[in-house]
Amino acid sequence: MKTTVVGSYPKPKWLLRMIKLHREGKVDDKVMDEAYKDAVKAVVKDHEIAGVDIIWDGEMRREEMTSYFAERIEGFKIYGEVRVWGNAYYPKPSIVGELRYKEELAINDFLYLRSVTDKEIKVPITGAYTIVDWSFNEYYPSKDEAVYALAEVLNKEFRELVKVGAKYIQIDEPAIPTHPEEIEIAKNAVEIMVKGVNAYIGMHMCYGDYRAIFPDILDFKVDQIDFEFANRNFEDLAILKEFDYDKDLGFGCIDVHSKRVESVEDVKKAIYMALEIVEPDQLYIDPDCGLKLLPRNIAFEKLKVMVQATNEVRRELGIAE
Amino acid sequence: MDVIATVVGNYPRPEWFREYLRKVEGLQKDLDVEVERDALKKAIAEVIDEQKRAGIELYTDGQLIWHDFLLTIASRLEGFEMNGLVRYFDNNLYYRIPIVKDKVRRKRKILYDFEIAFEIEKNIKAVLSCYTVAKLSRNEFYSKFEDFLWDICEAVKEEIKELEVMGVKYVQIDEPALLYAEKSELEVLKDVYRELTNTKMETILMTYFDSAERIFPEVLDFGFDVIGLDFVEGYEENLKIVEEYDFEAINLGLIDGRNTKMESLEELKGKFEEITSKGNFKRVYISPNTGLEFLPSIKAFEKMQLVAKLREVVA
Repeated sequence: MKTTVVGSYPKPKWLLRMIKLHREGKVDDKVMDEAYKDAVKAVVKDHEIAGVDIIWDGEMRREEMTSYFAERIEGFKIYGEVRVWGNAYYPKPSIVGELRYKEELAINDFLYLRSVTDKEIKVPITGAYTIVDWSFNEYYPSKDEAVYALAEVLNKEFRELVKVGAKYIQIDEPAIPTHPEEIEIAKNAVEIMVKGVNAYIGMHMCYGDYRAIFPDILDFKVDQIDFEFANRNFEDLAILKEFDYDKDLGFGCIDVHSKRVESVEDVKKAIYMALEIVEPDQLYIDPDCGLKLLPRNIAFEKLKVMVQATNEVRRELGIAE
Repeated sequence: MDVIATVVGNYPRPEWFREYLRKVEGLQKDLDVEVERDALKKAIAEVIDEQKRAGIELYTDGQLIWHDFLLTIASRLEGFEMNGLVRYFDNNLYYRIPIVKDKVRRKRKILYDFEIAFEIEKNIKAVLSCYTVAKLSRNEFYSKFEDFLWDICEAVKEEIKELEVMGVKYVQIDEPALLYAEKSELEVLKDVYRELTNTKMETILMTYFDSAERIFPEVLDFGFDVIGLDFVEGYEENLKIVEEYDFEAINLGLIDGRNTKMESLEELKGKFEEITSKGNFKRVYISPNTGLEFLPSIKAFEKMQLVAKLREVVA
C-alpha cells in the first residue's frame, strides 16, 4: 500500500512569472533552467513534507500533455491552437511526416529529480493512443498506423529511461475511454510501448465511461491501472468488482476538480472500499488526476490528508508505514 | 450550373477576441456573459473580411460566441439550463449539455450575433438547428420527445420569420444528428421541416460528420432548396445518393474541415466532376465538410482559399 501522485502539481506563482518573462525574452535560457530546477526542488519538498511515497517532479516544464511531447518528436508540427470547449484551447499538433525519435522526453527530468530526492520516482508520459487522438494526422493512411509508429518512439524512450534507472513508468491515456470502439488499437499500442521495458508499468485514465472499456482493459499489458474514483463518488468501484479486477490498482481518491479538502475519515472510508477489491500490496493511493489546476496550498493539504488517511489505515491493519 | 464558394459556419476566433473572451468570461462553465457589442462587431467584421480575402462568395458570421456549437441555440432559449460537459459527436470538443427544465420558449432573439453580421454584410447565411438541439439535450420536462421537438421548431420558426423581415436571403439549418434519426421519426420531421422551410429565403439543409443515406428519400420532401452532404466522411455513400435521387441544388462538403492536411486541387476537381456528372444540378455550393473552428486559424484560412481555388477551376 503506497501513496503516489498522478503527475502534475501547481506551478509556484513565481515560476509562472518567470515563464512569462522568459517568453518575452527578458530572462535568458540559463536563468530559466535554474528557475525550473528550483521549482522542482520546492515541489519535491512539498511532497516529502506531505509524506507521499512515490513522487514525480510536478511537471514544472510541461505546459500541456500533448504538444510538450509532440514538439520533441520528429514528424509533428504545431500550426496553432484549437478550442476544446468554452474558452479553453490547446496547441493541437499535426503529424506531417514519419514519427521518429528525436530527443529525450523525460530522461533529463528524471535524472534531475533523482539527484534531489531519495524517494521512489514514477515517470508519467502521455501514451501513443492519446497523443495521436489529440493530433491531426496528415501523414499516415490510418489512425492505427500513426498510433503504432508513435508507440515505437515511446518504446525507445522507455528503454532509455530504464537504462538510466527508472523503475516505474506511467502511461497516461485519458483518450482511451472516449473511444471504446478503438480499444484494440490502444491495447496493441501499449504492447509496443512496453516491449522489452524492464520496469513497473502503470496506465492512468481519467474522464469517460469506464464501463465501456471493461472487460477489455484487463487484457492490457500493464501492471497497474490508475482510475479516477472521487470525481464520481466511487460509484465506478462497482464496475471493477463486477469484472473481477485483478491488476494492481491506482486508486484516485482525491477530487482534483474541487477546492474542498477531503476529511481524513472520508479518504479512509474510500481506501477500505478499495481494499474490498485488491490486496493492500496491490493498492496505490493517489489523487484522481494531476493537481495542477488547484491552488498550491490546497493541493498540498489534499496530499497531506491522503497520506494521513493511508497511515491510519496501515496502522489499523498492522502494515508498516 | 452555377457554382458558389461558401463555408459551413463556425470559424476560429481572432486572437485578440479569444483573449478578450477569456478575460470577460473566464474559463469556467458560467459563460454567456454580455459581450460588448463593439468588440463582437469588430471580430465578426474581421472574420467576414477573411472569407472575402480567401475568395469565399457566400459568408457566415463565424459563430464566434457559440461556445456550445449548435447547442448554443438552446442556451438562448427559455426552458433550458446548461450543465456538465459532453463530447460533441466524434470530436475532441465538448459542449455544456442543455437540460430542458421547463417549456421551451423564444423570449428574445436567438441570432443576435448574426444580426450584427447582417449590418456588416448582406450576402450572408443565418445558421440555425432544430432536431440536433432536441436530440443532444437532456429532456427532463416533456413527456414526449415530439412535443419537445415541436416547441423548438416553433421557436426556430419565429426566428426565421424575423430573419425574413430583416431581409436575410439565406437560412441554413445544420442537422448532424439527423443522420442518425430513426426511420420512424422522419415522418414527423417532414412536418417540422415543412414549417421551417416555408419561407421566401433560400433554405439549406447542412449535414456533416457522416453520410446521409439513411434520410433518403424522405428528406426530399422536407422542403429545402439546397441539401448539403459531407463528401469527406461519406464519399461513396453520398455519391450513390446523388446518382439515385434528383435534386436541384446541393452543397458539396468536399474539403476536410477537421484535418490540417491540404487536399490537392486535382483530387478535389476529380471528385467535383464525378459528383456533378452523376446529378443534374442547377446550383452547386462547394465548401469544407464542417465548420473550420476545428483547425488552427492559419489552416482554416488556407482551407477557404482551397475552396475558392476549386470554384475557379471547375466553373
